[in-house]
Amino acid sequence: MWWHLLLAPCAAAILALGLPAERLSAAEPLHQAIDRLIAAQAAGEVGPLAGDAEFLRRAYLDLAGKIPAADEARAFLADPATDKRAKLIDRLLESPDFPRRMQDLFHAMLLERRGDDPHWLDYLRRSFEANKPWDVLAREILDPDPQDEAVRGAAYFYVSRLDKVGQQDTDYPGLTRDVGRLFLGVDLQCAQCHNHLFIDDYKQQDFQGLYAVFLNTFIRRDVKFPAVGENLLTKKTEFMSVFDKVPLATGPRIPGGAEIEIPAFAAGEEYRVPPDKQANQPGEPKFSPLEAIAARVATAENAAFSRNIANRLWFVMFGRGLVHPLDLFHRENPPSHPELLELLAQDIAARKFDMRGMLRELALSETYQRSGLLPAAGEAPPPASYRVALEKPLSAEQLFWSMLTAAGTPAAAPPGNEQPGDEKAGKTELDELRKRFVAAFANPPKEPEIEFSPSVKAALFVMNDPRVLGLLEARPGNLVDRLSELAGPREVADELYLSVLTRLPTDEERADMAAALAERPDRRAAVLGQMAWALVASTEFCLNH
Amino acid sequence: MKSNPLCKPWEHRLSRRRLLGAGAAAIGLGSLVRPAMAEELKKRQKQVLFIWIDGGISQLESWDPKPGTQFGGPFRAISTSVPGIQVSELLPKTARQMHHLALVRSLCTKDNSHSAGVARIQRGDPKNRGVTYPFFGSAVAKLLGAGESGLPPYVWVKPGSGGFIYADAGFLGPKYGALAFGDGKPPENLLRSPAVSAEDDAFRNEFRRRADRRYAQRRRGGAVEANSFVYDVAQELMKREALFDESQYSPRDVERYGSHELGRHMLKARKLLEAGVTFVKVNTYGWDTHGDNFVGHANLVPKFDQAFAAVIEDLAAGGLLDHVLVIAISEFGRTPRVNGHVGRDHWPEAWSAAMAGCGVKKGIAVGGTNDKGTWVAGEEFDIGHMFHTWFRALGVDPRQTEYENNGQPLPIAHEDCRAVEEVLA
Amino acid sequence: MTDPSELAKLYGPKELKAVKAEQQQCAVRFTPCGKFLVGGGYDGLVRRWDASGDEFAELPPLSGHGGWVSGLAFHAEGSRLYSADSWGRLRAWSYADAAPQPLWETADAHNGWIHALAVSPDGKLLATCGMDRLVRIWDAATGGKLFELAGHAFDVLAVSFHPDGKSLASGDLAGIVKHWDVAAGNQVREFDARQLYLSNRLQDVGGVRSMAFDETGKMLGCGGARPKVGGNVQGVPLAVLFDWTTGMATHALEFGKDSDVYLCDFYFDARGFIVAVTSGNPGAGKLLMQEFDAKEPFFSIAKPNCHAVSRHPSGLRLAVTTVNANSNGNGRLKAADGAEEYPGNWSPIVIFDMPAPADA
Repeated sequence: MWWHLLLAPCAAAILALGLPAERLSAAEPLHQAIDRLIAAQAAGEVGPLAGDAEFLRRAYLDLAGKIPAADEARAFLADPATDKRAKLIDRLLESPDFPRRMQDLFHAMLLERRGDDPHWLDYLRRSFEANKPWDVLAREILDPDPQDEAVRGAAYFYVSRLDKVGQQDTDYPGLTRDVGRLFLGVDLQCAQCHNHLFIDDYKQQDFQGLYAVFLNTFIRRDVKFPAVGENLLTKKTEFMSVFDKVPLATGPRIPGGAEIEIPAFAAGEEYRVPPDKQANQPGEPKFSPLEAIAARVATAENAAFSRNIANRLWFVMFGRGLVHPLDLFHRENPPSHPELLELLAQDIAARKFDMRGMLRELALSETYQRSGLLPAAGEAPPPASYRVALEKPLSAEQLFWSMLTAAGTPAAAPPGNEQPGDEKAGKTELDELRKRFVAAFANPPKEPEIEFSPSVKAALFVMNDPRVLGLLEARPGNLVDRLSELAGPREVADELYLSVLTRLPTDEERADMAAALAERPDRRAAVLGQMAWALVASTEFCLNH
Repeated sequence: MKSNPLCKPWEHRLSRRRLLGAGAAAIGLGSLVRPAMAEELKKRQKQVLFIWIDGGISQLESWDPKPGTQFGGPFRAISTSVPGIQVSELLPKTARQMHHLALVRSLCTKDNSHSAGVARIQRGDPKNRGVTYPFFGSAVAKLLGAGESGLPPYVWVKPGSGGFIYADAGFLGPKYGALAFGDGKPPENLLRSPAVSAEDDAFRNEFRRRADRRYAQRRRGGAVEANSFVYDVAQELMKREALFDESQYSPRDVERYGSHELGRHMLKARKLLEAGVTFVKVNTYGWDTHGDNFVGHANLVPKFDQAFAAVIEDLAAGGLLDHVLVIAISEFGRTPRVNGHVGRDHWPEAWSAAMAGCGVKKGIAVGGTNDKGTWVAGEEFDIGHMFHTWFRALGVDPRQTEYENNGQPLPIAHEDCRAVEEVLA
Repeated sequence: MTDPSELAKLYGPKELKAVKAEQQQCAVRFTPCGKFLVGGGYDGLVRRWDASGDEFAELPPLSGHGGWVSGLAFHAEGSRLYSADSWGRLRAWSYADAAPQPLWETADAHNGWIHALAVSPDGKLLATCGMDRLVRIWDAATGGKLFELAGHAFDVLAVSFHPDGKSLASGDLAGIVKHWDVAAGNQVREFDARQLYLSNRLQDVGGVRSMAFDETGKMLGCGGARPKVGGNVQGVPLAVLFDWTTGMATHALEFGKDSDVYLCDFYFDARGFIVAVTSGNPGAGKLLMQEFDAKEPFFSIAKPNCHAVSRHPSGLRLAVTTVNANSNGNGRLKAADGAEEYPGNWSPIVIFDMPAPADA
């Protein structure tokens, strides 16, 4: 199996034996191991640590999904404690913002903007509120249980992909591909009709073994929540390579795994719950291929599963995958830091797929806390060296919550816990605004959000959308209102930059502002609004750096 | 993108080494063109008007009539301004512009379904290399650039909804997607809020640019550059608000182009070309006449005829035709035989496209079909041939130019096809 | 209303045979004498069959038309046949001759497609209509144009003389029906059958595809569809019936589903029902009989794409113009040996026997 070849032999042994986590972490905390392994391959001087402001904004965006309010920033900057960064990380991970951030993040990652569904969003939110382990989450998604109200929203992962769009056929190959990409880090697209031509590791049977499972599924129309059913699977899927035309067949199997035997039942004995034609209810077969593959995909015994989530969490925090692109794990596209990836994969398996725990370790590392400024002289270090922090695009949701925070919108005080779809007064309007942000900033459906991809649409939205502009009009207690109460130009500049960019302005920036205010004293409120707009529209605001 | 219909493995001939090298080095997406476009290309900005007749116009009721034959249908053929070339009687106005046109009547393409056909034709059916190729509009936007107009290089005037259609760009990236004017209307949020005066707008944007310049110091650059680009384009669009104000169009133009959807959109396309947009696509939908093909074409084709003849006449009169390549094409033609619903079905086997302007000959018809119109007589041209032809007409040599996608070199047109030399001026 | 099964027993036809027309036919009809079946084809030929017995032997065709022979009309006196084509030609024949020659021909009766043709009850006038949006009246004896009725804003698809011979109705693509005074040559009034029309994207869809008066002239029927979409036109077949005196629509009879599309042809049976044929998606077609106030037809039989129905003057036979099954198809059609043959379609003419009144 090629994915075992990827492992260092000893690491493979540890995984196979399922040794406890202490063995890995007792000697050296994970965040220190990260720094050690990054330093070992830095091939040059690592950059300095980020200043407090830079770190504060980064950690907030990554762990709370928004920038800090000016007051929070001021308090953090003034705090003399030496362990304040670690404390902040813990505080953010405990705050109600964290599950919302994770909900937004996994919604965009797993659905790739195919749509919203309240059951799904609710499922994600509740899962992250309970810090549900990734393997449990993944199994619930891969084998959704319509009986369990608490988790059945997970079926939307399948439903959104099994739904027909226009006259197109149901995209079963696309679903097969996505399960490989998102849960195992392998894009098997080109292995549908033959072994992958350029990637030796991707075999046609890897594709077909999963494809057989999904081809057997359908959307249930007898219930009001997202749900999928399975037909009886009684025989293997036949396929042949378009090259050699030798007929082959496979039952369900996960990439690199053993074929799952299809059990035979006597006629009339195939169902756990037989179909009910009267009630229009599909049956529940005794043999569920979804159940079979879910158990095999989402487990620590499947190294690809651990490695994929380790790589994706690393990407979330560091802006690129150790294996990049994220879904091209194979021998010829090795990780930039093989040992580190293995360490992370083992660690997350050992900590029973506690994602919050792993994110904490990542955030504690010096690598994470490094400044994003390039060295003043010389060439920019290669991105994969992590000698300086990389820029990350803000998601539509991060932009939305950050914009509300920056503008000091009262409806969002304290921002962070509004649930999409919440009917409470004022929330509907906020949710409408959130949807407009998503429409303006999110990628089109099915396009992973990896790169910073600004668009004319988004620029027009920021420039002219009345609701966006409305956020920057003076309202009691909001940013522009606060600014207009301040007397001195220096105070105004400090408050503005701290509120929007989570840092104090440079002297040059202060001078600029003072000049602008002095030039148009009659239109102070308008000028303040426009300067706030300029910062909100700036590249600095829409990146996490 | 779905994998199966596009993946033609026997066509994978690219050397393994080249692709693997690319995969390992995939950093910072974005694709280059090699060689850098020659300076002279930029001097005289070439443009394209791409008229997409969605659903499939019948070649027999347009460019390749076969009156009085078994499958010829009810209509007659008429003479044109070019002796010896006849078109359907449903194209009387276009017939008078024939001396500007070049017809290719020997298209033989492959995909028979709309879902595959539309994308396949507009992507030029490149060999499958595991990437999503750009539509022609995105390709031209990439290869010819935006020119000096400050407007986005690829604008799509279409019925229905508008927006920013990224998917067209494929691996070139969203920047090369289409800015679509749904029902010819401007994009959302085009108009400056009344609360922001022109002076305020200039002020706030100057402040934004200053912030960006400061941020860009000691950063990798790309982000600020990309963000500035979209703001610049957005501001330029806001300045061209008048392009969308149909009340400013001359009544005579409106009458000549037609007050119907296609007429209005074609007139808008001319304005966009005059404003300097590199690639303008105009879509007309509803040509999939599996039923009632003849009454259908009898009222569809004259609307196309009116708008098409008017735009050709105007581009020629204004001298724009010298540097604007005009293409009118569908995803396929329609079956010779008439089904029981008096319709014609999908027919990629033998059909036609029309061209005019930049780089193509005037007043010719190349290739042809047999006397019943069922098969191509002589050499068949696939869409790859047309892509070669169009690129050549625009001064881009498809044998010398390739995309570079993360180190993976990709030809801009199917390398087994060639340009239709007979069409090229 | 009578029990449908009783009606079916009384009036329901029985299939006798199918007569093959080698090329697709716009419409095939019995002559007034009942001895011939005459069809107008997509190949510009007027085909004839001997209808005096059960054999239906094909007789030599009448040639000289171009495009499609889109309109046929007969008059008993002198065995007259008038034929119109899609290239604008109008001809007169004596259909019973062994080798008929045109009695006269008008080459540019219309600019392009003549959609329909009707002869006045006294046989003296012809009315034609076409894609040039005009209705024209001709001297049936000479082919000379008498006058022109302009005013339709869309292609005129159907034309019919009132039984009194003084009035003419014409219907267009937009579902507008005009009542003309034949003697004065002017428009009297307009009927609204716009439920037969849809403006969809760039296309004007539907229109008055068939038209007939009942024998008393009290009722005018306009057939077509209630279009849902252009392109591959879909919509429920529809007959809109007007009270000729008031000009009000009294019935909108729907026949079938969206894929059944056009009510292509029909006639009023004096016994109180309508006999109609429909043609929709390739393969979809029906011969139907229904009372005006009934919800369902009392008789219905499926035949692929029925474009015309013609009653034998004896009332004992029907001829239904259909299209062969599997008439549609995409992609490259090749002969088994790989040669690039390309099959066309044809028209089975389905002959039905009707119960004799004595049986009732």
